[in-house]
Amino acid sequence: MPHLELLATLEGHQDRVWQASWHPTKTLLATCSGDKTVRLWKPATHNNFTEWHCVETLEGAHKRTIRSVAWSPTGNELATASFDATTGIWENDPRDNDWECVATLEGHENEIKSVSWSSTGALLATCSRDKSVWIWEVESDNDFECLSVLQEHTQDVKMVAWHPKLEILASASYDDTIKIWKEDDDDWYCADTLEGHTSTVWSLDFDAEGEQLVSASDDKTLRIWKMYKPDNEQGVITHNGEPTWKTICTLSGYHDRCIYSVSWSKVNGCIASVSGDNSIRIFEKDSDTTDPDSPNYKNTSTTKDAHGVYDINGVSWYPNETHGDWLSTVGDDGLVRIWRWVKD
Amino acid sequence: MSQNLINANPTIYNTKTFVRKETEAEFDDDVEDAIDSQEVFDLIRSISDPEHPLTLEQLNVTQFDHIVVDNEINKILIEFTPTIPHCSMATLIGLCIRVRLLRSLPDRFKVDIRVRKGTHQSEGAVNKQLNDKERVAAALENNHLLEVVNQCLATASLRGVEVSN
Repeated sequence: MPHLELLATLEGHQDRVWQASWHPTKTLLATCSGDKTVRLWKPATHNNFTEWHCVETLEGAHKRTIRSVAWSPTGNELATASFDATTGIWENDPRDNDWECVATLEGHENEIKSVSWSSTGALLATCSRDKSVWIWEVESDNDFECLSVLQEHTQDVKMVAWHPKLEILASASYDDTIKIWKEDDDDWYCADTLEGHTSTVWSLDFDAEGEQLVSASDDKTLRIWKMYKPDNEQGVITHNGEPTWKTICTLSGYHDRCIYSVSWSKVNGCIASVSGDNSIRIFEKDSDTTDPDSPNYKNTSTTKDAHGVYDINGVSWYPNETHGDWLSTVGDDGLVRIWRWVKD
Repeated sequence: MSQNLINANPTIYNTKTFVRKETEAEFDDDVEDAIDSQEVFDLIRSISDPEHPLTLEQLNVTQFDHIVVDNEINKILIEFTPTIPHCSMATLIGLCIRVRLLRSLPDRFKVDIRVRKGTHQSEGAVNKQLNDKERVAAALENNHLLEVVNQCLATASLRGVEVSN
């Protein structure tokens, strides 16, 4: 039976851990916590992956919880989003291998919930309890210019995630919707609103191609959405020449409580979700179903009490082939865990 | 003294000063005492109302009958009843109950706190906010709010025993 094998448990954070982010190329994990720090973790040696060390603690720049952490595509910078209403930009100084907060982005009225870099690294997005999504242009010399303030969500915005290839942004909100944002001649606008969840949407992730996305909600379901372009042969109605995103699969009846995070592996195509019910679930596409507009996903493994009795807040597949079977999870127990997905 | 109370003249209920009866088993170290609704009620009954020098029990906001504890699946559901259907203190009261339980119950419990059905005009919004742990975490990093919560919790340890009128 497919299952998750625990590789390592990383201890060090002094409060609940909210999110983990894998470095784009190196075997390096960044985690952020209610203890107001980001920690960087690395295996003790190049071939022993059962023992990890905290190699760096980024602290001092935020006065409150760090809710989200994201690597730039080159892995040379880190962005941190904090409840203190600021976003920190951190850079590694290769001379003494030291991390320094080189910029602080201000503007949101209150807690920032998520930060994300676009695939080229040219844009940064942040979102906040103030209901807005901000798009920042990354300029030289650690300068960031706010290009747009998007205020169409009617509630707290929980997460932003960029398309894996294009300059398309998705945001998930306490207003139960997901919005897709695009640019037209320097103007950012909402190209589609995805309705279907019946409570807060906490998390979302695109598939490798960016043609589909998965979302996780307080309504205890996961939804898989597919993009239909204008004049699609399936006859899905589109508006104003914009693609329409439509639910093609709903995964319900699995998690017993709020689903806090979802990750769609760019390597093996599996979907991992974590919940307030203390479990990690892995979903695989059923190869027997051939209809691309109505796929079937099977829950092929469930790891109960993966962080003991605690909520699991974040899950993240390793981003490339090197360790494509690895998964990280973070929990209310202050721990970070690294798992290996074993197929048989 | 604030003259703009949300509910200036609330009904005060006689507190049924029912106290847990001690049983033989409770003194036996070999018997595991499960946490029951009486225990949970005792934890929250003496929390003070944010605007009156009265406890949630005296205002009938918390009631023993509206607490469900399931030890098997580590789940607790608490329903509370705001004194008036437009009470703007409902979220704060719910937050106080949540914080009290966060501080006193074993970590294994998942606690859902809800307004009793039909007793508040913004029931859905209040329930959603109280059960969003990220917003609860953010609220508790607000020192002013934390101070107010701590004030309401200052009497919580009375556990219904020494309720003064």
